[in-house]
Amino acid sequence: MTFQQARWDEPPIWDLASTEPAEAPPVIAGVPERLRRKSAVRWPELAELQVVRHYTRLSQMNFGIDTATYPLGSCTMKYNPKVTELLARRPGATDVHPYQPEATVQGSLEILWRLERLLAKITGLSEVSLQPAAGAHGEYAAMLMVRAYFRDRGELAERTEVLLPDTAHGTNPASAAMAGFVTREIPDKEGSVDLAALRQTISNKTAAFMLTNPNTAGLFESDILEIAETVHNAGALLYYDGANLNAILGVTHPGRMGFDVAHLNLHKTFSTPHGGGGPGDGVLAAGDKLGPYLPVPRIVKEGRKFRLDYDRPKSIGKIKSAYGNFGLDLRAYAYILSYGEEGLKHVSRRAVLNSNYAASRLGKYLPRPFRPLVKHEFVLSGAPLKERGVRTLDLAKRLLDEGVHAPTVYFPAMVEESLMVELPETESKRDIDAYVAAFERAITDTPEHLHAAPRSLAVSRVDEVRAAREPRLSWKDLRAAGAKAETP
Amino acid sequence: MPRWIPDEPGEEAALLQALGFSSTDELFTDVPKRARIGRMGVGPGREEPEVVAEVDRLLARNRTMSQFSSFLGGRVTSRYAPAAVDALVSRSEFYTAYTPYQAEASQGMLRTLFEFQSLWVEMTGLDVANASLYDGATAAGEALLFCRRRHEGKRFLVPASLPWEERSVLENYASGPGLKVDLIPYDDRTGRLDLDFVRSAVGQKDVFGLLADVPNGFGHIDEGVPELKSILGDVPLVVVADPLSLSVLEAPGNYGADVVVGEGQGFGIAPSFGGPLLGLFACRKEDVRSAPGRIVGASVDADGRRAYVLTLTTREQHIRRSRATSNICTNDSLMALAFVVYASVVGPRGLARLQSSLAEKARTLASGLGGIDGVKAPRFDAPYLSDFTVEVARGTAEEFLDRLRRRKVLGGHPLKDPRPGASTEPERILVGVSESSTEKDLQKYIRAAGAAIGAVGRSA
Repeated sequence: MTFQQARWDEPPIWDLASTEPAEAPPVIAGVPERLRRKSAVRWPELAELQVVRHYTRLSQMNFGIDTATYPLGSCTMKYNPKVTELLARRPGATDVHPYQPEATVQGSLEILWRLERLLAKITGLSEVSLQPAAGAHGEYAAMLMVRAYFRDRGELAERTEVLLPDTAHGTNPASAAMAGFVTREIPDKEGSVDLAALRQTISNKTAAFMLTNPNTAGLFESDILEIAETVHNAGALLYYDGANLNAILGVTHPGRMGFDVAHLNLHKTFSTPHGGGGPGDGVLAAGDKLGPYLPVPRIVKEGRKFRLDYDRPKSIGKIKSAYGNFGLDLRAYAYILSYGEEGLKHVSRRAVLNSNYAASRLGKYLPRPFRPLVKHEFVLSGAPLKERGVRTLDLAKRLLDEGVHAPTVYFPAMVEESLMVELPETESKRDIDAYVAAFERAITDTPEHLHAAPRSLAVSRVDEVRAAREPRLSWKDLRAAGAKAETP
Repeated sequence: MPRWIPDEPGEEAALLQALGFSSTDELFTDVPKRARIGRMGVGPGREEPEVVAEVDRLLARNRTMSQFSSFLGGRVTSRYAPAAVDALVSRSEFYTAYTPYQAEASQGMLRTLFEFQSLWVEMTGLDVANASLYDGATAAGEALLFCRRRHEGKRFLVPASLPWEERSVLENYASGPGLKVDLIPYDDRTGRLDLDFVRSAVGQKDVFGLLADVPNGFGHIDEGVPELKSILGDVPLVVVADPLSLSVLEAPGNYGADVVVGEGQGFGIAPSFGGPLLGLFACRKEDVRSAPGRIVGASVDADGRRAYVLTLTTREQHIRRSRATSNICTNDSLMALAFVVYASVVGPRGLARLQSSLAEKARTLASGLGGIDGVKAPRFDAPYLSDFTVEVARGTAEEFLDRLRRRKVLGGHPLKDPRPGASTEPERILVGVSESSTEKDLQKYIRAAGAAIGAVGRSA
């Protein structure tokens, strides 16, 4: 084993300089005594180099896609092209305020408008809004639109339920509940929606069925047209969770499958960076029924000019400040422009090829609970490890010691000790082969080593139970606990 | 086509061969024929130089703030970001990482987020901050839902002076559980909240929370806000705070705020036409299990060394599903990094000096504008820091701003709900200053405003 992550004995930033309460801040004329701060914010006074060195060292104790293969299922950890970073930092993009007059922001508006048109073609849904900040935010906005739609039809009092498969991302039930719906889960049959169970459960109480296709087991829901028919016959709407769109570009799209509304994650399929947990970038796409309910403003083209249109009486209004995450929209636009039609098709074909290849190879070590043909990701069960007293968590930690990231673990929940693997199109065959070799070394290691992993990272296994039992959530807590400094 | 997909000679063939397939078509036999599409209609791909040229061509249709004397203010600022911020945000170990689920491989981001949380705790005087939300408006929305978990009731009170965008976002967050957002009237001279209205509303026992912003939507500081908590009792108080203002203003936790939210964009994040922004959220320790979003905690590793991990996750969507405190999955971690780097590079004394100098400039501008016939500036008789409100007596705010723009001044933005049929509001403009506002810019604005209001008078 040759991998070793940086392990700086770097103190917390507040230990890098004195934080004794400094002098009182300057008094601002007119601010009453009661509202004046008595001493400056308690934070260290540092020179720029100290700050730069501190966060550079921290960065060296962090995995990114640029560091290593990062096969988190459902997260689509593909390469974030450098040219898109370059473009998003142009002054023409950054030095523009959302409240500038329309005449001065024609470039930004045109980029957003063009991206909306491209995403309409990609999703097969004619109306697009880029306002949501992330995928879950798009789900939530879509559920608010569903609510407004049924209110207008006078059916809201009875349509109180949102159905979703038991394989759904946790954000789906959470978003539906925030929008005021009761959620009910439809069981799966061999990883796919059990159509008979859906038909049995759906009723005139159902407002919507939320589905991702391919689903979180990596399987394409081949009954999708029957599902759409069932949902529409019940007078309900079909919602597409676009987290897994990377598998189907140019093959099918939500519009053709019969979905009424979709969210997309530009930080997945369209490669805007995940930022260590965000910012993401959500998109709402809707067909005729829900299009009028999209958030305002919408961007319209009149002659050669672009304008923000607030005159949408059915709109749900605002779900976020301004018009969406423009800096990320710009990256996604450059990404789509680069690939074009054939390139995007190739993205999905190669992602699915990588996934099936990796599944066939990793399937030699752990059982695959569902049918062999998968889409962009697949699920393994770590249940057999238990015979050796080892859990999926141990395997994941041991993989980190190989200098690669672990798959998503313990999701989806219907598979015991699950691992969910996604190797997007930007990983080479050599990368996948190296990952398989690392997986083999990890899984054939002794239980002692597996339990003791990881050993090659900045820290060894973190005690999650203690973190939750004795919550220390800030420097203030550490001071109160009299906790010792960082070093061992 | 870009070289982003590996294409070693024979690579794809070898992958297919290993699967016993002859073509990638065989990978999609599970997609029914009737669900297939033909062309999407996206157009041909382009080489990198063409993409750069095309995007630059479109961006050239923008006029940036630096091409004007810009006085755009509000929750999104045009303040300067030291170069060190982007240098660190550009480290790809940070920006190409996912949410730090595997703590041991992600100590860098976890420690950064812990430092970010700690900073917002110090600024607000509360106990616990989360690892970020999308923006100030959605953070206020989450605060509304948080209050409802803490207290019974149907009504959430907000100032009538709250920016319309935030009010609309709040109305959406309230609509799911069937809650109502009610507006607190303000005094026409000072912009202060009507405390008698609050007293009487709270007396009706159906208020589950109140939100007040400092500075408020007019840019002014409401001296009555510290009295709110004694009126509210155990009804939670949410304060929307501008982070820079907290360098000189009392920590809201010290005058009874139960939650402090805010927009963090002004700390090192470019305006970028409004996104990405940064949502800030802090609450009291006893309420932490009702808090939305990711939270990083300090623990130890197997060798007893300090180590950090996402914690209290049983609040969250991936565990609790429909009973989660929020649907937050992705947040704004990278922007949280920008925030803490900005504050650390500028330093606590530097932040206070900056706020003080902006307040000085704002005063110069307001008194200059206030001397012009037909311009009321500042509109309210109340203290202010970086932003203040101007009201024009003749013509519309838009006409006034248009005339300023012709003189290369972006004079602020109209305080109006642009949706048709929205209540008619007076012709008010929110004006803000930044580091880039030089004495020359201030005088230019004052001269241009005199000419603009005069021109409106003549054409009227």
